[in-house]
Amino acid sequence: MSKGVVLFAQNNHTIDYVKQAVFCAKKIKKHLNLPVAIATDNVSWLLDNYPYYKNYIDHVIELEWKECKQKRIFHDGTMSNRDLEWRNHERGTIYDITPFDETIVMDTDFIVGNDIFLNAFLTDQDFLIHRHITDLNLERPDEHRFNKISDRSVDMYWATVFYFKKTERTKIFFDLVKHIKENWLYYRLVYQIPEVTYRNDFSFSIAIHLMNGHQRTSWPHPMPGKLWFTTDVDVLVKMEEERYLFLLDKKDWKGHYNVSSIENVNIHIMNKFSLDRAISEVLTNE
Amino acid sequence: MSKGFCLLAQNNGKTDYLRQAYALALSLHKYNKNQNISLITNDTVPKEWQEPFDKIIPIPWSDSAENSEWKIENRWKVYHASPYEETIVLEADMLITHDITHWWKELSKRDLFFVSNVRTYRDELVTSRYYRKTFDSNNLPNLYSALHYFKKGDVAKEFYTLLEIIVNNWQLFYTEYAKENYQKWCSIDLCAAIASKILDNEKDITDPDSFVTFTHMKPHVQRWKNIPENWTTVIGKYYRNDGNLILGNYLQTRVLHYVEDAFLTDEIIEKLKNESKVLS
Repeated sequence: MSKGVVLFAQNNHTIDYVKQAVFCAKKIKKHLNLPVAIATDNVSWLLDNYPYYKNYIDHVIELEWKECKQKRIFHDGTMSNRDLEWRNHERGTIYDITPFDETIVMDTDFIVGNDIFLNAFLTDQDFLIHRHITDLNLERPDEHRFNKISDRSVDMYWATVFYFKKTERTKIFFDLVKHIKENWLYYRLVYQIPEVTYRNDFSFSIAIHLMNGHQRTSWPHPMPGKLWFTTDVDVLVKMEEERYLFLLDKKDWKGHYNVSSIENVNIHIMNKFSLDRAISEVLTNE
Repeated sequence: MSKGFCLLAQNNGKTDYLRQAYALALSLHKYNKNQNISLITNDTVPKEWQEPFDKIIPIPWSDSAENSEWKIENRWKVYHASPYEETIVLEADMLITHDITHWWKELSKRDLFFVSNVRTYRDELVTSRYYRKTFDSNNLPNLYSALHYFKKGDVAKEFYTLLEIIVNNWQLFYTEYAKENYQKWCSIDLCAAIASKILDNEKDITDPDSFVTFTHMKPHVQRWKNIPENWTTVIGKYYRNDGNLILGNYLQTRVLHYVEDAFLTDEIIEKLKNESKVLS
């Protein structure tokens, strides 16, 4: 059975997800030593700007470029933000496009810092995904807001990183994700989601709920380890090998931060701008 | 030993509890074969609503709740009115959504059993103490009388005899046993909790880990951040053609204590009527 990691990277006018993917792949090679595939609609950008990508990326899957009208606000700390395209509609195609029998899928702003995900390949489960997340910022109010996809709706699962192997059930699951994406306005209303924008976490959560027959069950099991995260109002200041230094949003003090660091963890860094700056430093000598 | 369900229903100015009891009986028959159900009431039961019941029993002695809106005062009489040796008592504003006949085997191990943990419509354990402040402040057993069981005998009789005294003198007992966060009305849950405390039998009559439980639809226990006055105004209900009930996108697989009469539409009753085995 072939094993590997697939990264989706679809740039908008400002954020270079391809660059993130190259860095993410570098970390995957270091800690997991697995083949990496990038699924992107910006292949020429990859070839032109990151000619060394083959050191880290084994497969390039070209996605059709589609116009995207969906936007969301991306923060860079608490004092700066931009309203940008959010091109996240292809995740449901993973079953069809992955070159592997067993696949870990990651957001490109998810940084691997240890080898714990290798345990995913040792289970007899066909799908693993995080149900709970761990906030690096202990001051952040009301972690509960992430527990459901909305106050009165279903349990939240995090499509940031997940594992699956090709089975009849996972095929149905990803077909269902595609169906939910295609009928997002309907599902948004039925599941009482205030946000208009399509979000993979939501469609995955709804699909899991439907696959479980509108009930809570033990399927799917969680990914190994914790899913650490910082949001985009926190700022990544520096990456030194596996140690990350952050400024974390200070509660009730807009524009003020607490300094914190963490190392050897798998972490989702949602501030794309500060992640981009930190990656630039690391990739300088490539 | 004879076994059966007893529902006590008395209409008040606002709510047609007979209609609720009728729907509950239909739902019991739909999922549970060959069950006895008795309705205890002094109200006139329309002929078409009598069919799911084996017996319609008048409330013993006089109606103690004649001048009361909530009709709590007669609840202790269920023990005396029940025609069964083993009885599961259900409040009228409940619906059965699955087969619970296996409960009899579990409950028969006891003389009395009260539910002491309840679930949200998302099948999470209720942790909110919003409606249970008096119980907590006075260290009283966390009993829910909406669904309970008794086996006729000395133990249950002693309990119900004491319950009668507490219900009839609730202010006195509240002052003695529930003076913190004093509740200004008589509730059968609180009276039962006081009876249990006096008899020191909590461990014998409840088990927080028991699978005998129900889904409680009071809004404050649903783990919502924005709490509405009525749950029926904020989540969808779908009584599907396959007979399954979905609330807020969750399949209901436990006994549902829906609380709000607005939930029980004529459409639901009609579907239950068509699906109920007893009428087929």
